[in-house]
Amino acid sequence: MNEEEIKLLWKNTNKQLEESLQLQQQKAQDIAQIKAGNLLASMRPAKQFAVIAGLLWVVAGAILLTPIYLYGFATANKYFLFSASLQVLLTAIALVLYLYQLSAISHIDWGTPVLQTQRRLIRIRSASLWIARMLCLQLPLWTTFYWNREMLTNGSYGLWALQAFVTMGCTVLALWLFTHIRYKNRHQKWFRLLFSGKEWTPLMRAMGLLEQIQQYQETEE
Amino acid sequence: MKSGNNNNEQLEHLLETHKGILFKVARAYCAREEDRQDLIQEMMIQVWHALPRYDVQYKMSTWLYRIALNVAISYYRKQSRKTIHIPLDDQAEQVTDYESGSREQQLRLLEQFIAELNELDKALILLYLEDKSHAEIGDIMGLSISNVGTRVGRIKDRLKKRFSQKNNDL
Repeated sequence: MNEEEIKLLWKNTNKQLEESLQLQQQKAQDIAQIKAGNLLASMRPAKQFAVIAGLLWVVAGAILLTPIYLYGFATANKYFLFSASLQVLLTAIALVLYLYQLSAISHIDWGTPVLQTQRRLIRIRSASLWIARMLCLQLPLWTTFYWNREMLTNGSYGLWALQAFVTMGCTVLALWLFTHIRYKNRHQKWFRLLFSGKEWTPLMRAMGLLEQIQQYQETEE
Repeated sequence: MKSGNNNNEQLEHLLETHKGILFKVARAYCAREEDRQDLIQEMMIQVWHALPRYDVQYKMSTWLYRIALNVAISYYRKQSRKTIHIPLDDQAEQVTDYESGSREQQLRLLEQFIAELNELDKALILLYLEDKSHAEIGDIMGLSISNVGTRVGRIKDRLKKRFSQKNNDL
């Protein structure tokens, strides 16, 4: 088959299929109504739950911690106070990043050239890695919030050793993940394992597309 | 462009005139009919959304191809790859009179070839099959004319090899 025959084959088939196309002729107003749905309504239930749970967590944290800072700072357990504050702060940052990401995606101009739009989309989606990195930093805080003066002054060597091991381990792991969750490590086994869920699939594929775009750019140069 | 009813009328007219573009792109990126319908609906929504930003310096078809391809590539990422693969059906494989021309089989071979391409090559071959000039492909994709020529040439070579290989197999 030569080029023209292949093109003809494609066109004839498209023509036939178009004629029989049962496109749901939605009125423009229907489409407008679909689009009028807000950002939260357009999200999957799992993501809606994550956002709502995150918001409630941050609000509850703020309600709990603010009076301690204002009225009970001198007597408060500082280990709990600082651990919880940092935890809530990191959750809030991750939440803001996530909402910013959703908003940026919803405002993208799909009418710009394909490579340009896709590059922008991938850059926005890559913010998911930043969210994951921020959340990883919370890890050691879960091992310090229950510390207290009593525990440190009266605790046994065994308890201290165990606590030090757990906290140090979590800190090292959190810092390692924070510095290693990067685009360049996407082919590493641990990275693929960590981001193997259904929710991460579009991001992993977006990274694959970025490689394609880079190859196209190399030809361009 | 004005908003409101005017926008809706424009959209209806636009979709009626150019629905073929959305359909062809959806066909290249989705093997399953229900996925295609979902994708076409998503494309229509994004066309409606992007309509006020339409830049008249570009042909309407160029702008629509951009939207359709951008949405299809993003949608493609969300789908399971299993739904994208179009196997040659067993019966078609066994047909021995290839040269006498089972058009159906040739079409399946072409669809199979397209299905195996990556997202960007898929867009290029689609535009090439639609007889778009290299300049227009460049406008849609955001590539230089020479780059389009190089890329399309490579895909065409692979396509020719695929067809001649199949010819030899039969």
